[in-house]
Amino acid sequence: MEFLNFLIILVAAWLLWRRPDKERLAFGLLIVSCIIMAVLFLIGTHTSLVPGLNL
Amino acid sequence: MRTVLAWVVIVLIAVPVGGAVLLGVVYGESPCILCWAQRTSMVLIALVGLFVLRYGPRPRYIGLVVLLGTWGVYMALRHSALHLARDVGQGFAAPYFGIHTYAWAGFIHFVVLVAVAVLLVLLREDAPSYGPRATGRVGRLAIGLFLVVVGANTLQAFITTGPPPFIGQADPVRFSLNPRHWVWMYQDEVRGRISLRGSWTVPRPDPTAVEVDADPANGPLANLPVLDITRRLAITAPLGGTLTGLAHDPATGRFLAVTDHYGVYLLDSALSRVEHRVLLDHQYSIDLTTLAGAAFLGDTLAVLATNKSYVLLRLDPAADPDREWRHFRETDGGVTELRRSRFATERARQMYVLSLAYDRQADELITVTVPSPRHRRMVVSRFDRGDRLLSSEFEPRLGTNVTPSDSGRTLAEYVVTGAVAVDRTLYAVSAAYSTLLVTDLDTKLVTAAYAVPGIERPVGLAARGSELLVAQADGRIAVIERPGAGSATSEQTVRR
Repeated sequence: MEFLNFLIILVAAWLLWRRPDKERLAFGLLIVSCIIMAVLFLIGTHTSLVPGLNL
Repeated sequence: MRTVLAWVVIVLIAVPVGGAVLLGVVYGESPCILCWAQRTSMVLIALVGLFVLRYGPRPRYIGLVVLLGTWGVYMALRHSALHLARDVGQGFAAPYFGIHTYAWAGFIHFVVLVAVAVLLVLLREDAPSYGPRATGRVGRLAIGLFLVVVGANTLQAFITTGPPPFIGQADPVRFSLNPRHWVWMYQDEVRGRISLRGSWTVPRPDPTAVEVDADPANGPLANLPVLDITRRLAITAPLGGTLTGLAHDPATGRFLAVTDHYGVYLLDSALSRVEHRVLLDHQYSIDLTTLAGAAFLGDTLAVLATNKSYVLLRLDPAADPDREWRHFRETDGGVTELRRSRFATERARQMYVLSLAYDRQADELITVTVPSPRHRRMVVSRFDRGDRLLSSEFEPRLGTNVTPSDSGRTLAEYVVTGAVAVDRTLYAVSAAYSTLLVTDLDTKLVTAAYAVPGIERPVGLAARGSELLVAQADGRIAVIERPGAGSATSEQTVRR
């Protein structure tokens, strides 16, 4: 999934560079990428979402 | 301002993100699933920087950077917490400039938040809103570098994590261009149930209300001999609260009692008169949970809370009332606090205790854990009195004379609420199954176990000569003969 996420980021950056009129699409891809990144982190930490220490 | 921002993007994408790719390709160091998320977050912050270069500082860009920055700080805290408390020099993968990558990522996200704040301060309030515009020469360099570095990351991500549905791993293997060495998986990371605190979800026990099966016949050990209660005593001295622990001083015959209201009472040998008393301020400096154990260390009084925080006291007719005001909510004026701190364990870090014993021969304090739904084990921890640090720790094993009632039954089912050490032997009374466990502190074996029917809500155990005194929450004391100090057991045994 990290691979897919970097592909999305690449597409967003390419739109920014070559098709600046597609701002909404590029920003949408940016948001999707943020969500994927956050979900992957939560998958990696879902058995203990907060640090394993005294709170 | 645009040029500065472009350089910020260049540095961010070149140093931490580009450097991380180099670590992977040159040194073979592959990021774990959490490292990937932290690296991706830095890439996304750089991408938002490019958005600002292209379209200006729109509020949603700034808002997104703040979100990514705070999320990145959270990720760093969560990730670093796995390793921050380890012994010196330890961590996950190699450190760079003395700091591991997961900690660096936290620092970088923090700097990003600071940078955004500074940029907002410097931003003109009448900054015009505009459409796409040229990025300038430095901006083009930033975009080009971004595409190259992210392209390299994409390739590394394909090799080390694979295409969807595969995801990053907790323990990734080193980078290789040889497909035979590639490991793609997702099962390991999705295994396990969702939890906020994981193994740190440990309910705090209440020494006065331990809910257990008190019937010895249902316990994990078979054919226990019975120790009869020879007589009963009672604490008639007034205690402010429910009794949670008791100790006996062989030198003076006095008793030390603690209660659930943080009361510490020095009682006379008849248990009828309070000679000294203090009410600890449990919120001063060290967080004291409910007191659960007491012990005499010569002329020092030791009391222990369920979270292994402890307080050392001494009788002192010249106690300074102004100094002790910070320690005690109430005092009779004859007690000084010597020390207040916490015992630190290894195997028992996620477990509470309900007992404290003192081994005079070894000059060690001893705690015994109680099980929780997450952690079913019995751990005996010993702390040197000199520095009060852990000197040894073990999980008792069964001696040859003690057998489990069924396969799968273990000592971890007992809930030890009182303990006392005599002659290198640890006596521990369990509220669960009303059982007395006898453990040799040298061999670490439970050499004997006895059913003690008739005890109700035991909260403490004291030794007096050849007797053991089982203190109950209601202030009554069941007296039994101490095994090993003479003939103790009846012919009767408890069978299942």
